[in-house]
Amino acid sequence: MTGAGLLLRFDLRRDRAKLPWWIFGTALLFLIQSTQSQNMYGDPRELAGLRETIGANTAVVAMSGPAQLLETIGGEVVFEIFGFAAIVVALMNMFLVGRYTRGDEETGRAELVLAARVGRRAPVGAALLLALLADVVTGALVFAVLAGTGLPVGGSLLVAAAITGLGLLFAALTALAAQVFEHARAVYGAVGLFLGAAWTARAAGDAADSGLVWVSPIGWGQRTLPYVADRWWPVLLLLVTAVLLVVAALALLDRRDLGDGLVRSRPGRPYASRALGSATGLAWRLQRGSLAGWVVGVALLGVAYGSIGDSIEQFVADNPEVTAYLPGGADRIVDAYLALTVTVGALLAAAFGVSAALRARAEETSGRAEPILATTTSRTAWLGSHLTVALAGSGLVLLAAGLGEGLAYGLTVGDPGQAFRMAGAALVYLPAVWAVVAVAVLGIGWAARAAAVAGWTALGYCAVVELFADSFDLPGWVQRASPFVHLPEAPLEAVTAPPLLIVTAVAAALTLAGLAGFRRRDVGY
Amino acid sequence: MAAISISGLVKRFGRTTALDGLDLTVGEGEVHGFLGPNGSGKTTTIRVLLGLLRSDAGSVRLLGGDPWKDAVALHGRLAYVPGDVTLWPGITGGEVIDLLGRLRGERHRARRDELLDRFDLDPSKKARAYSKGNRQKVALVAALASDAELLLLDEPTSGLDPLMEAEFQRCVRRVREEGRTILLSSHILAEVEALCDRVSIVRLGRTVESGTLAELRHLTRTSISVETVRPITGLSGVHDAVVDDRHARFDVDDTQLEPVMRQLAALGVRSLTSTPPTLEEMFLRHYGPGNGAADGTGNGDGR
Ligand SMILES: Nc1ncnc2c1ncn2[C@@H]1O[C@H](COP(=O)(O)OP(=O)(O)OP(=O)(O)O)[C@@H](O)[C@H]1O
Ligand SMILES: [Mg+2]
Repeated sequence: MTGAGLLLRFDLRRDRAKLPWWIFGTALLFLIQSTQSQNMYGDPRELAGLRETIGANTAVVAMSGPAQLLETIGGEVVFEIFGFAAIVVALMNMFLVGRYTRGDEETGRAELVLAARVGRRAPVGAALLLALLADVVTGALVFAVLAGTGLPVGGSLLVAAAITGLGLLFAALTALAAQVFEHARAVYGAVGLFLGAAWTARAAGDAADSGLVWVSPIGWGQRTLPYVADRWWPVLLLLVTAVLLVVAALALLDRRDLGDGLVRSRPGRPYASRALGSATGLAWRLQRGSLAGWVVGVALLGVAYGSIGDSIEQFVADNPEVTAYLPGGADRIVDAYLALTVTVGALLAAAFGVSAALRARAEETSGRAEPILATTTSRTAWLGSHLTVALAGSGLVLLAAGLGEGLAYGLTVGDPGQAFRMAGAALVYLPAVWAVVAVAVLGIGWAARAAAVAGWTALGYCAVVELFADSFDLPGWVQRASPFVHLPEAPLEAVTAPPLLIVTAVAAALTLAGLAGFRRRDVGY
Repeated sequence: MAAISISGLVKRFGRTTALDGLDLTVGEGEVHGFLGPNGSGKTTTIRVLLGLLRSDAGSVRLLGGDPWKDAVALHGRLAYVPGDVTLWPGITGGEVIDLLGRLRGERHRARRDELLDRFDLDPSKKARAYSKGNRQKVALVAALASDAELLLLDEPTSGLDPLMEAEFQRCVRRVREEGRTILLSSHILAEVEALCDRVSIVRLGRTVESGTLAELRHLTRTSISVETVRPITGLSGVHDAVVDDRHARFDVDDTQLEPVMRQLAALGVRSLTSTPPTLEEMFLRHYGPGNGAADGTGNGDGR
């Protein structure tokens, strides 16, 4: 472990721009959930109503957690947010530990470090120490946020401990996977797969109220039942497992060569398939993995939203004051709810679109655009290849949001036709999604260095206008710059063609302007 | 017609002037060495030739066309090996080679497989599993498998082992026999000496020397070591002379060779060895401060 302290300081420096976002993000999740839940269901009568409607809805229980949590308001907060926060914390630890172990080994940085007076175990040790630090700080912030918003101190401490324990378990698991696989991406793949499996096992276990939840560390975390039963022993389970995983990782580390893994990476194709024969083929190949991830993730979110659509109606019937939070008033409450949630899907589709368009920029700065542009691929064709993925892909993500939401809602109300209705409603937002992507394209063409900022700012701006315009009382002119504002709020409002065509035309004009700019500038800086 | 003709090329990046009136002429069918210290503007020149960068001044003709305006049409006739080969993680070397070939509208499976064999490259490895040398080989095989009339090679052998270097030289000779043109930027002088018909040396974004190796040598000094019958006295027109009775070692400017030889002949030459300047010495003089270009601060970076 010689040199671990020094490496820790070095890692901390390398991560100072990323880590705070993860930590504050996690704390923010709890802060928002705690204030929101206490506002909406602070009254025991409202909470009881929620227990009857939501608690009996299998789909919601599968998406959130055990219904026992709905006994108290604190438990309700944990019910809603813990499963999601667990994913965030797990990913934070995965990337953190993966980056400083296998990631560094793969790029050869570890070789440089280990050639100095540094022990074999030091890089892993430093990474785990950094994870410990991050998890403890995250826990402390979560505790401060929960207790600070008026929830009982004991339960808040338990939530914080469960989050910290869960983080440490995933840090240790990543350290182990880093010994097994040769490449950082394989490490992330394996840990990500485990995370997905853990989440699914918990969901299935909670839905069926079976012992299956005990297979999943996320299940252990939730079954501490904070604010309801305040059990501490599952936290111990998390910590002991983490320690065992670290011991296993160190044992493997001592037995292998630098750069080697237990599982060698599979060789790929020696010849390109037919699909990889054009710039567009390459762009799809590069982005298909992330597109699939977005489609599945957003579809699941749609399912989560759709599954409570029916309960919303009942819930609002019991608690009329909630209507204030939804557009369109009480009469068409479900459609208003569906419109609002599908907009969230549209914002996520735009997020995919922006990231897919910016991929072109990443290709350019990494020097990978150059060999392609040195062939008979024109600049328009090259940038167009990534735009195809961005525009068509964001359409797919949007469709997945609508289908998922419609399907789940349709199943709960016994009307499968809802799937098509919601898919159609979702696509109404496509012109606005494209307009946001077009801002990123315009940036790529005319102000390449500012392209990422332009794209993400446009998206963030639309998100603020869409989700918070009413609560912040933003003036009309501020809102009108958002393309979403000009589209009908499907399925709440009637859909007419002119606004769709106009927003599409604006998106097309911006995109073409971006392409024109790209044809005229230097490539590759 | 020249394959490449550049005159007075200027390229600025903000306040840095990367190319400052560069001239370069590469005849058809010739292997042209493109030399210069780090940061002297070789890569920038090649990127202008590829139409990736727009020139600020000067005229550039490539295969009879304008590299900026006719980029797509010209790219069908050339192949390129970048100096810094970055590949796509998760895509195998074989796939990259096929993709680049197809994007140029070519399919040469037999030649491709032969080259993979010669360069001892495993095409089924994912890009991130390749070493630096092997990444370089992927780009090389992709370029050498094509039948483009012009090859732009930017330090194509950096990172290759000596065996592969020899293989590369064999391939380049074959390309030359087929009458195709190569612009070869390189820091490996032995390679340049072995392969190039003509060379151009750039410094600080300007061409300081251009011609055949013989012509360039002409401008330099030859080292001579001689043993004479009579004791040596009063040699004129030589540099760094070390005289010891009947033995002498000195350098002589090639223009002064004849008078010096006459003096020696008068003394009765018993034995004489003459060593032409190594390319190394020649370039060190051109690269180094105070030579070639007007000003002299080592190299181009940090101006
Ligand atoms: N995109 C850019 N932005 C700013 N300066 C640049 C850029 N590209 C090149 N330069 C500068 O232009 C000059 C020439 O660089 P270039 O890469 O052409 O040199 P080179 O001769 O290829 O050097 P090397 O032998 O190291 O490859 C350098 O001073 C470099 O810093
Ligand atoms: Mg260079």
